[in-house]
Amino acid sequence: MFHLSYMLAELRRRRGRTILTALGLAVGVALVVTVNAVASGLDRAQQDVLAPLTGVGTDMTATRPLAIGDGDGGAEGLTEAERQRLREQAGPGPGLNLRELEPGSTFSTDTFAATRELTFSASQTAEIAAIDGVEAAAGSLTLSANHVSGTVPEIDVTQGGGPGGAPPQGAFGDSDITFESRSVTGVDPAQPDIAAVTPSQITDGEYFSATGSPRQAIVSAAYAGTEGVAVGDIIGLGGEDFRVIGIASSPIGGTASDVYVKLATLQSVADLAGQINAVRVRASSGDLVPAVADAIAAGLEGAQVTTAADLAERVGGSLDDTRELSSTLGTALVIVGLVAAVLIASLLTLASVSKRVRELGTLKALGWSRGAVVRQISGESLIQGLLGGVVGAVAGVIASLAIDAGGWTLEASVSGTADTAQAATAAGGPPGGGPFGLGQAAITTGSELVEISTTPSLPLILLAIGLAVLGGLIAGAAGSLRAARLRPAAALRTVE
Amino acid sequence: MQTTTGTAPAPAPGKQSTPAYELTGVSKVYGSGSAAVAALSDIDLRVEPREVLAIVGASGSGKTTLLQLLGALDRPSAGTVRCDGRDIQSMGEGELSRLRRDTIGFVFQQFNLIPTLTARQNVELVAASTGVPAAARVARAAELLGSVGLSERAGHLPSQLSGGEQQRVAIARALMNRPRVILADEPTGNLDSATGADVLALLQHVAADNGQTLVLITHEQAVTEAAPRVVTLRDGRLISDTRS
Ligand SMILES: Nc1ncnc2c1ncn2[C@@H]1O[C@H](COP(=O)(O)OP(=O)(O)OP(=O)(O)O)[C@@H](O)[C@H]1O
Ligand SMILES: [Mg+2]
Repeated sequence: MFHLSYMLAELRRRRGRTILTALGLAVGVALVVTVNAVASGLDRAQQDVLAPLTGVGTDMTATRPLAIGDGDGGAEGLTEAERQRLREQAGPGPGLNLRELEPGSTFSTDTFAATRELTFSASQTAEIAAIDGVEAAAGSLTLSANHVSGTVPEIDVTQGGGPGGAPPQGAFGDSDITFESRSVTGVDPAQPDIAAVTPSQITDGEYFSATGSPRQAIVSAAYAGTEGVAVGDIIGLGGEDFRVIGIASSPIGGTASDVYVKLATLQSVADLAGQINAVRVRASSGDLVPAVADAIAAGLEGAQVTTAADLAERVGGSLDDTRELSSTLGTALVIVGLVAAVLIASLLTLASVSKRVRELGTLKALGWSRGAVVRQISGESLIQGLLGGVVGAVAGVIASLAIDAGGWTLEASVSGTADTAQAATAAGGPPGGGPFGLGQAAITTGSELVEISTTPSLPLILLAIGLAVLGGLIAGAAGSLRAARLRPAAALRTVE
Repeated sequence: MQTTTGTAPAPAPGKQSTPAYELTGVSKVYGSGSAAVAALSDIDLRVEPREVLAIVGASGSGKTTLLQLLGALDRPSAGTVRCDGRDIQSMGEGELSRLRRDTIGFVFQQFNLIPTLTARQNVELVAASTGVPAAARVARAAELLGSVGLSERAGHLPSQLSGGEQQRVAIARALMNRPRVILADEPTGNLDSATGADVLALLQHVAADNGQTLVLITHEQAVTEAAPRVVTLRDGRLISDTRS
């Protein structure tokens, strides 16, 4: 098209200005691409950290935490029947009275204690599943499995300072009595995606199969490591033998039990038929999570609902810091860059129109309409914008890929601070410290290195080029406004 | 040489036809208050179709101002300017630019070619918004360059052409949209006298060929003597209007 060749000819003649304008816009665009690629890379890294933590699809977990000594939501709000059940489940630890046993004889006993979550009827799962916006709900039961064994000690009454005297240090003195406690969670094998342990966590062996033996167990990698348990081994739980079929890794920030078994098996072994103490829920859409959480909290007495967003708050470390930095500093940088680029482009376009007063006046004197002049100036700016957009996008892509190739890694960490402990309570159990602190499902603390992938996406690149074109058009509008006001008489008057 | 244009009818002697221009009581004042400059005062002028008219006068006498009014580049401060019977005062911005495009061809003292475009592109450019198909525009531009003797120079940039050649390109450009009037402000002012004479001859020749009205401002004694009609301005007033 003819106009186009005139535009290109003009841009070539004012090469310096054209390059400067395009470069200004290019810098703005490169900033947009790079900052956004980094930001979404950081977001993806955060998602990666959180994904195993929330399970594949668990959006929230509903529990009934028992806040001991805490006025609201504590034991006060319970019915007498519930208090009774709590006493039965929680105390007094190993149900054993050594005085009843013959000194020197060996013994072994297994008990289950509820964690700080109250148990409730498994029928709640169905009720929660019926709430609008709930796609799936699965019950789980987390207990502390205690095992005490050893030889009944010879108690020397004279040494102990008589009845009422302080017991010797270590409660059982130098005896060979061992006390073992580990957390065990019963999961619904029919809903693996929202279970406390998901198939994706399995690092060795396999996941529960619905048809398999009820005596299957999956152990956490940490537990397997300290206890030297491997796939195929037999472990005892409540006096029953379980075959270890898989080892599961635990994501940092997640709650991990030592052992996972099928829910129905645990209920029967622990004598808690039909009881669960957590419901894991997936909403049908992410937007519905807050509403569903509210609905569950309203429907289940004393319920506490922990969402993925709550879990996200546990994650700290340089990843988190960088994300915050990128969202504030990055946004500021992009805005300043774009505004400066558009300003520079506008000023240069205005200057170029001023230099072309006679040329544009001549075109008007020869019959060009205002519209034609405006189209000419805008078209030139548009081409500059496009040029700047493409150059900037290429620069941005190169910068993003360079960062990507640099293998930038950041640390995501979860530490056992007071805050974390509180979040942990909400999510499934305290990391020790409570009255029944041993063998509880605990938050996995520690840190993880995450590689940041900053590959820019095509929509982002197109958006950035679009921004440059828009910037060019704004500059063109400024120049056009001036050019449209030029009087055609300038053709005969202006000296060059 | 060139017979494809020329739609203006010859004035039938003795019979009243629409004049190319009719100015009555035209004044032009630049600025206002104490800075006001009266560039033209109370001008009455009638120009017939196909007439050749030279405007002369001292520097600052108002020649260019008058030509701007004829070219619909500006509006008078008082009085009326009619072009082809239409009052330019009553015309909107769009109508004025169409009038300039379709009825008037301009030739400037400084040629005013677009330096980045070739001779042919310069000629073509003024027809860009006429709706004439691109191929037809290209053909006509080439033909016009041929008619001013520049077929060999069509692909050259203005900087690669001599002053006389540049002005001939400008004349071809003025003819592009088949105007009824050609206005030229000192078309030979930047040329040596021999080249200037050639350019003037060309202007008169194409105007006569196409049946166009030609109004030119000049300082050249020779032109003034040869022109069939000479209008003289002094201090913005029309002091003589002679036909030979
Ligand atoms: N835009 C303007 N603002 C103020 N005064 C102007 C303007 N244009 C022209 N004038 C004044 O109007 C008067 C007539 O100017 P004009 O250009 O018409 O003279 P001219 O006859 O063409 O002169 P020259 O032969 O030098 O080109 C001059 O005094 C000039 O200073
Ligand atoms: Mg003049």
